[in-house]
Amino acid sequence: MKKYHCLPACLFLFFTFFIAYSNSEAALSEADQACLGCHSMEQHKTLGNGEKLSLKINPVEIEHSVHGIIGCSACHGFTANDHPKRTFKSRKEYSALAARRCTTCHAPRDNIIHAKIVGKDPSKTTCIDCHGAHSIRRVSELSKGNQYCLTCHKWEISKRYLDGSKETVQVQESHLKESVHKNLSCVDCHVRVYSELHPVREFKNRRDLSLVLAENCKRCHFDKYTRTLDGMHFKAASEGNTKAPICTDCHGTHAIASAQKDKLANSKKCEQCHSDIYAIYAKSVHGTALIKEHIEDVPICSDCHKAHDNAGPHTTNFRITVPQICAGCHGQKEIMDKYGLSTKVVDTYLQDFHGVTMKFYKQYGQAEKKIAVCIDCHGVHDIMKMKSQNAALIKQNLTKRCQKCHAGATTNFPDSWISHYEPNFQKATLVFLIDWGYRIFIPFMIIGLLVQIVLHLWRYAVNR
Amino acid sequence: MMKTKGLEKVRRFGTLRIAEHWLNAGTFILLVITGLSQKYHDYQLSQWLIMTLGGIDTTRIIHRYSGIALAVLTINHILVASYGVIFLKWQPSMVIHLKDFRDAIDNIRYYLGLSDHPARCDRFDYKQKFEYWGVVVGGMLMIATGAMLWFPTLVTRFLPGQFIPIAKAMHTNEALLAFLVIAIWHIYNAIFSPEVIPIDTVIFTGKISRERMMHEHPLEYERIFGPIQPSHELQGEIDNTAEQPTATTIS
Repeated sequence: MKKYHCLPACLFLFFTFFIAYSNSEAALSEADQACLGCHSMEQHKTLGNGEKLSLKINPVEIEHSVHGIIGCSACHGFTANDHPKRTFKSRKEYSALAARRCTTCHAPRDNIIHAKIVGKDPSKTTCIDCHGAHSIRRVSELSKGNQYCLTCHKWEISKRYLDGSKETVQVQESHLKESVHKNLSCVDCHVRVYSELHPVREFKNRRDLSLVLAENCKRCHFDKYTRTLDGMHFKAASEGNTKAPICTDCHGTHAIASAQKDKLANSKKCEQCHSDIYAIYAKSVHGTALIKEHIEDVPICSDCHKAHDNAGPHTTNFRITVPQICAGCHGQKEIMDKYGLSTKVVDTYLQDFHGVTMKFYKQYGQAEKKIAVCIDCHGVHDIMKMKSQNAALIKQNLTKRCQKCHAGATTNFPDSWISHYEPNFQKATLVFLIDWGYRIFIPFMIIGLLVQIVLHLWRYAVNR
Repeated sequence: MMKTKGLEKVRRFGTLRIAEHWLNAGTFILLVITGLSQKYHDYQLSQWLIMTLGGIDTTRIIHRYSGIALAVLTINHILVASYGVIFLKWQPSMVIHLKDFRDAIDNIRYYLGLSDHPARCDRFDYKQKFEYWGVVVGGMLMIATGAMLWFPTLVTRFLPGQFIPIAKAMHTNEALLAFLVIAIWHIYNAIFSPEVIPIDTVIFTGKISRERMMHEHPLEYERIFGPIQPSHELQGEIDNTAEQPTATTIS
């Protein structure tokens, strides 16, 4: 008995499908059946331009179509009994003519993309190009979410701007899937567009469109936006420079990626505009490590210049924060140990003449006064390795840099900076010995004097 | 003029020497304030001082010009002293003798109770000589190294670059030493020592009482007034400035 348990279920399924099939078959009217009498067969019509137009209709397509119930003549305008004989120049001409019928029921709404697409040149883009002909379905059934937008935007379609330029509005689905925004939908960013209404908006050019669209980023990333207000890019933009970078210039649009993940890709964003500086950086100790050795500990543009609130390196305050910027990495033992670098570089600078001066200038708001900071000796984008380099060359370069402030400095002059080492016996022997000499002599002397004072007081007390 | 018994005065310093002392003191104080605040720039007090003086640049300018003042005072002193000793036959009373070392040992023995009388010193005792030479030699060292630090570009045209950090090491350490010696030793001897408290007036009036002189500079006293007798009565004011070694009693 167990063997036949599934039999009723099988029978039920069989009948359900049978009834469904026979019912749909029955949904087609007699008039339509008459049409299909011929048009369900394989046959062609040769058009004026030699194109072959298939006349075969798949009845299933009609049955599943939203228009299944209105019948062939509703769109084609004639029945099997009064079928005119017609000739057409091309397939396009035929579909344009056939599509005119759509507007008798579906008047295109104003200011939506349909009106623009269909209204401008009906012979070029027709309703059926997107919606299909016999297989026509409800738009909402076609797709949901981003797929809905992609029904059009996955194609190689383009938009013409007011200045005459034509740019693609195609969206790569793969980009959306890789993006950090993959869980958002198109309309989250394209705010004035939604499924029911796709307004036609006119822009001077693509840049204009980007400028408007990038405004929408701050709807979520307002913190970043407020930071950009302090940045020089924002300043340039507010002065009317349309080339000044906006969110999407650095972060991308549909392929928007996390800026923190890939430092190299991140730095390349700056290269788009600052290629000359990038070329110098690429040759520096930091640049080569990043580009050739893929070391991510090194600073990229935004590490020093900041990303959103980059106020520009020519501001008075920037110079004075340089030691702090460099110390961000060079003062961290766990990073420096990896590359055999000393973290004393920061302290030795801060305790020396330049460092002390810089500290006071900073503390008392005298940022406009200039004193050597890291970059004045080491360079800016062209920072080089100090170790394993030709010592004579280093000295030669250093002399030139010293001369910028110390007019008339000779080749002896750079030696007056005992580099970033605390004086030791090997390097700066005399300085080391003098320091130690005093370190012993001063307490010796002072303790001696204090002992005498105490003895003197004691003698005085005893004598009384 | 005080005429109390035993408190008659002997002139010890002329007006010029007193002025010299106070000019030196003023310069020294300025140098200490502006210099040590740079040496100990991490301390709040230093930062407050530098800020109050108008920032690091102003502080350095004050320090450098005070340095010039110290240089002028020191060089002037050396020239005057040399001229006086060579041409005017002043007593070279600041010259260090072997006796000064013996005096120091004797005095310590006395403090410890190993001897029943302190060292018998001349016009300047060993403590004063120590301070004097500290100021002169230390001052010259500070002036030389200070000038090197002021003009590193010029100095390194003739000397190796390392002379600059060497000069800095000497300048900064010597400064601390000088400050500590003055702040502890000199201030004790001039203010807090039970023999002078509340303050040693000699450097204001230029005069020392004969009694004090008898105690502190017995050799000088005897040279002028003859052997000390316990009941000796003192009268009048004595002028015994260094410039006039032949002591003359006035009124």
